[in-house]
Amino acid sequence: MTTGTHQRRKERIDRGIKVRTEGIYALMSWRELVYLIMPRFVIIVGLLVAPLMIPDMYWQRVISIVCIYALLALSFDFLAHQVGLVSLGGAFFVGVGGYLSAVLNSVFGFAALLSIAVATLIGGIVCTLLLLPCLPLRGVYFAIVTLMYPLFMARAIEALDILGGTDGIMGIDSLPSAWMEQYFIIGMLLLFLFGMRRLVNTDLGLVLRAVKDNDQAVRASGMNITSYKALAVFIASAIGCFAGASLVHIYMWAGISTFALDFSVLPIAATVIGGSGTLVGPVIGCLILVPVSELLRDFGTLRIVFYSLILLAFVVFRSEGLMVYGQRKYHQIERWKKI
Amino acid sequence: MLEATGLMVFYENMLALNNVSIRCGENQIVGVFGANSAGKSTLMYALSGIMLDIRKKEEMAGGERITLTGSIRYRDQEIMASKSSRRARLGIVLCPERRRIFKECSVLENLKIGGYLATAAQAQETLEYVFKVFPALTKLKSRLGGFLSGGEQQMLAIGRALMAQPKILLLDEPLLGLSPLMQAMLMHATREIRDERKISIIITEQYARPVIPIINYAFILENGSAVLEGTREELMNNPDVRSAYFGI
Repeated sequence: MTTGTHQRRKERIDRGIKVRTEGIYALMSWRELVYLIMPRFVIIVGLLVAPLMIPDMYWQRVISIVCIYALLALSFDFLAHQVGLVSLGGAFFVGVGGYLSAVLNSVFGFAALLSIAVATLIGGIVCTLLLLPCLPLRGVYFAIVTLMYPLFMARAIEALDILGGTDGIMGIDSLPSAWMEQYFIIGMLLLFLFGMRRLVNTDLGLVLRAVKDNDQAVRASGMNITSYKALAVFIASAIGCFAGASLVHIYMWAGISTFALDFSVLPIAATVIGGSGTLVGPVIGCLILVPVSELLRDFGTLRIVFYSLILLAFVVFRSEGLMVYGQRKYHQIERWKKI
Repeated sequence: MLEATGLMVFYENMLALNNVSIRCGENQIVGVFGANSAGKSTLMYALSGIMLDIRKKEEMAGGERITLTGSIRYRDQEIMASKSSRRARLGIVLCPERRRIFKECSVLENLKIGGYLATAAQAQETLEYVFKVFPALTKLKSRLGGFLSGGEQQMLAIGRALMAQPKILLLDEPLLGLSPLMQAMLMHATREIRDERKISIIITEQYARPVIPIINYAFILENGSAVLEGTREELMNNPDVRSAYFGI
């Protein structure tokens, strides 16, 4: 045989520390505990410390916007990669949540925090009910319907001159203090992020993943997939509505631009960059994309060109996403091995 | 005609093909037998070059790393690095497992797509030949691929592969889920194709009994290694092979 003792292949194996920390033995040494906690720690502390490190008001606002987009990206990633419903409706969730909260606050006089909470809940229910008709369908229908709703709502508000028409609803209360506003949204992002990570590992998450893989088999197991999908849509749209409601209270204004397609598209781009299906990835994608898009403002209209180039480069050269790549490097070592 | 030596395929750290060497001579039918996970499909993917595509896709998606080494020689030409499209042009055509019919195209359209590489005259001639070998397809010309029965789909898949003007045809589990009668009919047709079109054929199967009458030579795969090879008579006389693959 001519085959190669001289040939080599690159082998990937789990780090010993990963294998050990997967059991209860993690409690046995500080090193293993640190290995387990470190990645989570970096994200949590990084997000909490960021507003303190950046005294500039403008960039503090950017951090809030990053969190808003991160919530949307989280909801997109959950729907698309855990349930298999590709939703282009980020803008719809933001708009519904935003307008609901604006109306509750300015018309009914709810306090800011209360109106955000109520708007999240009612917004989730409203979005779920409106999306219910296309849930039994498979394929591209869900994406089309979710894309249509924000366009429809924006034009309806403009044409019928309801909800403030083109001027929008002004004079909405902000959250009690600037620091509260900053940390409220960061805290909620962390809560939703780790909450969702828990959720996808529960039995419910398992069923949802099964619906994504093979909905007929799930149906054959005696489960009603439409109700499971509706539940997933409720969770995702509630997160989106929460993001919208918070946004409205940050800007103290709700207008047609809350239905802008930016809220649908940017989270998808962030998910591609961050690594789809990881839930943390989209958040990291937003942490990169939103500030980059702010930095590029100096270039004026060329901004979109650079922005598109960055996205293109990611899709072509690292389409697995940062998080998938990072996880692999963190948990596995590579070495050459003779065949 | 086609000779693979020292083929090794790793899916990440799992060894799927371990130093497998097989060869197929001019105008021969070669059988490759093995149980599930023996490496039959991996071997077919490696021979047809699909493995290179799979490797690229996995790499892009951050999935398994596939390592592929060894040598495949086809008519004194090393083709290990050639893409599957190039190999198809050279005449190595795969008829994939589970048929992979174009479900939303009619039977005729399926066949025409298969004839993409052929000249108009070749395509016309082969089309007529396919309907001659598989007369059952004649009545179904305008039926959608997705509405065919398993046996009809398999005939269509083989027909489609023939349209690409193969010199060597790789049939990956052509008898999967078919009735014994249909199996016998297909194997008969396969031999006819070999005799009339002068095409070499490699067939993989789990159960050797329906295939054994038509083959010249066979290899037996177990857990990724080629453990045994021989002519039909040699395998028939081997008691282990008889009980494991012929059910006698």
